[in-house]
Amino acid sequence: MKRPLGTIAGARSGDKGGDANLGVWVRSEEAYEWLNGFLTTEKLRELLPEAQEVSRYELPNLKALNFVLHGLLGEGVAGSTRFDPQAKALGEWLRSREVEIPEELL
Amino acid sequence: MIRIGNASGFYGDRLSAMREQLEGGHLDVLTGDYLAELTMLILGRDRMKDSSLGYAKTFLRQMEDCLALALDQGVKIVVNAGGLNPEGLARKLDAKVGYVTGDDLKARFPEALTANAYLGAWEIAECLNQGAQVVVTGRVTDASLVVGPAAAHFGWARDDWDRLAGATVAGHVLECGTQATGGNYSFFTEIDATRPGFPIAEIDEDGACLITKHDGTGGAVTVDTVTAQLLYEIGAPEYLGPDVTTHFDTIRLSPDERGVRISGTRGSPPPDTLKVCLNTLGGFKNATTFVLTGLDVDEKAELVKRQLHDAIGEEGLHWTLARTDHADADTEERASALLHVTIKTADLKRAKGFSRAAIELALASYPGFHVTAPPSDGTPFGVYRAAYVHRDEVSAKAVLL
Repeated sequence: MKRPLGTIAGARSGDKGGDANLGVWVRSEEAYEWLNGFLTTEKLRELLPEAQEVSRYELPNLKALNFVLHGLLGEGVAGSTRFDPQAKALGEWLRSREVEIPEELL
Repeated sequence: MIRIGNASGFYGDRLSAMREQLEGGHLDVLTGDYLAELTMLILGRDRMKDSSLGYAKTFLRQMEDCLALALDQGVKIVVNAGGLNPEGLARKLDAKVGYVTGDDLKARFPEALTANAYLGAWEIAECLNQGAQVVVTGRVTDASLVVGPAAAHFGWARDDWDRLAGATVAGHVLECGTQATGGNYSFFTEIDATRPGFPIAEIDEDGACLITKHDGTGGAVTVDTVTAQLLYEIGAPEYLGPDVTTHFDTIRLSPDERGVRISGTRGSPPPDTLKVCLNTLGGFKNATTFVLTGLDVDEKAELVKRQLHDAIGEEGLHWTLARTDHADADTEERASALLHVTIKTADLKRAKGFSRAAIELALASYPGFHVTAPPSDGTPFGVYRAAYVHRDEVSAKAVLL
């Protein structure tokens, strides 16, 4: 069923110099199992086409994935010409993307 | 157990938080983080204008209001508000004050406006062990503000990796203030996020902790609000710090009737290098936003672009067209797209000339020409970069006044 990812996932994002970080978490083991299989680096780039080089880390203990989007912010907060130079709302953008979510997780 | 609160997550956070935390219930230590990468640049520019500045001035205002109250209650204050001038700030406070210095590496990086190593917790611990009531630091890692008091209180050793890692996690949860208690939280509709209270960590001798907040304050401390903050500004699960490497994939969270328990965190030795925050002046920046309403949005954008390039040249201009417009819209705003243009240049005259060129188009450009805000005179901007130096090259020092 196509629904915004944020129906079941929370996110928080921020800046580290020219890189942005984007943490995504869910609230049950079943949902994490799905998220971990679904939200690959390729899928993240598809959902956020502005992302270029991406590192992906798994944190099963927190039912979370953490992504680092390298170079997204150019020269960092003060020098960036990007809309949202601190990547504060990157996570909320991701949460608004509509994806196929298994019905039993909704 | 030691009860450590936080009253600031950045330079500009809720001014009354210090008083709220002191009056809301018992604390042993109250911490505050005032330094982001960008803040170091702002303080660097303050210091250029007046060498006696370079610290977070809002902290001084908070101390004018609350220092007597803190001393009265026996609550120790530990903050990084010293910024680029911890001694200067320390000398303005009427208490037994310790300060931490040695982070400034400008001599090593002369081209930078600011160059500061991220110091650790041990100098903070030393100040407290020598009886400081207030500790002000410059650039230390945010978590050190919590690790230092815990290490001093329990007498931890420098190789108590798991304990130090546990306290680092507590510090990471606290360092952004209300971001741990329901501020900026994805599921904000499920809680009362009107005025979140500031967070508190009750740290045990083994480094485990309970994250909580004072009774009667707003927001919430749940596994979800704490998870959100744990994910903020991290990279790989091996979280490198000056005193310990903290393994974020070992953290266990469990709900508690007063908040969230954090346990299980494992630590290992830190790297041989310390991270350095470098800010250099990158040049001058100026910007404006043209509003493009109704028909022919792409062509309107093309015209104004051509005109500005014709007037001042293309170099250093960055354009973004946000198609926020809707066809056949029922409000003027919904019919409008936004064309953002920023100039970044080494030449202040060019940054100023950009404003004149943009405004001179007012009667000579696309139909419906207006801007959301007129451009300014242009402001200097900084470029941040991280560098790494061997820890032997940095000599951190605790000084008691």
